[in-house]
Amino acid sequence: MIQASDIETELLAFLRREIFSPDTNLTPETDLVGAGFDSMSLVKTLLHIEQKFGKWIPEGEITGDALASTRALAATAARILNE
Amino acid sequence: MSSASLNGSDQIMRTFDYELRRHGFAGNQCQIVLELAGKISPEGLRQRLAALQKEFPILNARVKKFWRPQWKIPATVTNDIVVRVQRDEPGLREQLLNEPLRVKRGELMRFDLVECVDGQMEIIFTWTHLLMDATAAEHFLAAVSDEKIVLPAAHPPPPAAPEKWPARLELMKKSVAQLDKFCEQQPRALKTRHADAPRELNYRVEKFSAEETARIRAHGAKLCGVLASAQFHAVAAVLELHLLHEKLGAATKSYILPMPVGLRPKGRIEPLFSNQVDMLMVQFLPEQLATAEQTVAALKAQTAQALRDNSISYGRKLAALFSFLPLAVFIRVLKHGLKGEICSLFFGDTANVNPKLENFLGVRVENFTHVAAVTPSPGLGVIFYYFRGELRFTVIHAKTVLSEAEAAYFSAALRFRLLNP
Repeated sequence: MIQASDIETELLAFLRREIFSPDTNLTPETDLVGAGFDSMSLVKTLLHIEQKFGKWIPEGEITGDALASTRALAATAARILNE
Repeated sequence: MSSASLNGSDQIMRTFDYELRRHGFAGNQCQIVLELAGKISPEGLRQRLAALQKEFPILNARVKKFWRPQWKIPATVTNDIVVRVQRDEPGLREQLLNEPLRVKRGELMRFDLVECVDGQMEIIFTWTHLLMDATAAEHFLAAVSDEKIVLPAAHPPPPAAPEKWPARLELMKKSVAQLDKFCEQQPRALKTRHADAPRELNYRVEKFSAEETARIRAHGAKLCGVLASAQFHAVAAVLELHLLHEKLGAATKSYILPMPVGLRPKGRIEPLFSNQVDMLMVQFLPEQLATAEQTVAALKAQTAQALRDNSISYGRKLAALFSFLPLAVFIRVLKHGLKGEICSLFFGDTANVNPKLENFLGVRVENFTHVAAVTPSPGLGVIFYYFRGELRFTVIHAKTVLSEAEAAYFSAALRFRLLNP
């Protein structure tokens, strides 16, 4: 069972390192799309999840609600990874 | 005099500039057209540009090549940025698009202020793609308009340290393998079909209302996913390209699209005077173009694979690696890779226009247009962007490749497909 909080920690580190500039104050609640997260960022993030947790999440599973924040994205990923 | 390095993307833009000029076109230059609600003072614009030139002498730089090409940046302003006032007349915009910048003399941009009959004005900002990409150009224009906007570092940082030889050989091997795989289904771009036409580019703009934009966004989200409007635009463009090829009897076994991928981290604009773009090369076979769903699947699969393989950066890295080659040799190598082609269609999607450009020097901007050059093969390109939340696209074509009627057909068909996928 993968905990959503573990995924959130992993995603936050990845997003800060690979997607957003150091000037962006990224918190678990930051609106990802509002901060500039785009489709290429999403594919990179899904690939990172695949590398770290061993399962590919199809883009179609990611809704607008899941991109409301890193926390929401982690919760969606946890649900699918634990299925 | 100081110097600054060109990165791999700059080198590709420099190569395209050479290729366009070699074929008798003006060069690899882009335009932003701002339609203003009123007039601005030409003198006010000149003063603002003079201040920026003093602060950023790279605006006067020239590219010199010894072993590798470099910007040679003068210590002081050597020539003012051209600001001209023009009376509106038929054919003026086309003429300005095809008037070359004297890049070798350090003329990297110019401003044409077109006085329209209704008391309005258009600002036509032309710059060489070698200096910066479209996102950076929007930010630069915003800073011209508003002196409170601080521009980032004057010089682009040096490119990353060159790879060691084993890594270089591996990169070359992988790149050749990728192109060989593409060429198993050989792409053939549109060729010169109107040899007597002038060596000029022209463009058409399609605008969508807020209601139409919402419909297109909904179609895109349904077909490609929540964030993937650019993918929907690319898919619509390649589907229409396929129909255009069929209509013109230009058979090809596949279509190659270079999809630009921004390199700047989200939330950052620097380095400004530099091209910060990678190219994701994707291939579509005719059988993948039977339905929009199949085309989307092909695009998504290749995007994910390219990120897994890190192959998006091949072109940029190789361009940096081989920047010592004379441009004539480099363009031959580049075209040789795809058996004579550069791509089947130039595609761009710059997303939302910088919101700071809704006014320019205190005057409301009524409309905004992006234009970019396309090399004469394929001689066709399309750029998508949103201004005040409304979608627009610009179709750019070489007159030697497509007639005005053919370009109008392509443009109208693409518009229809976006609204009715």
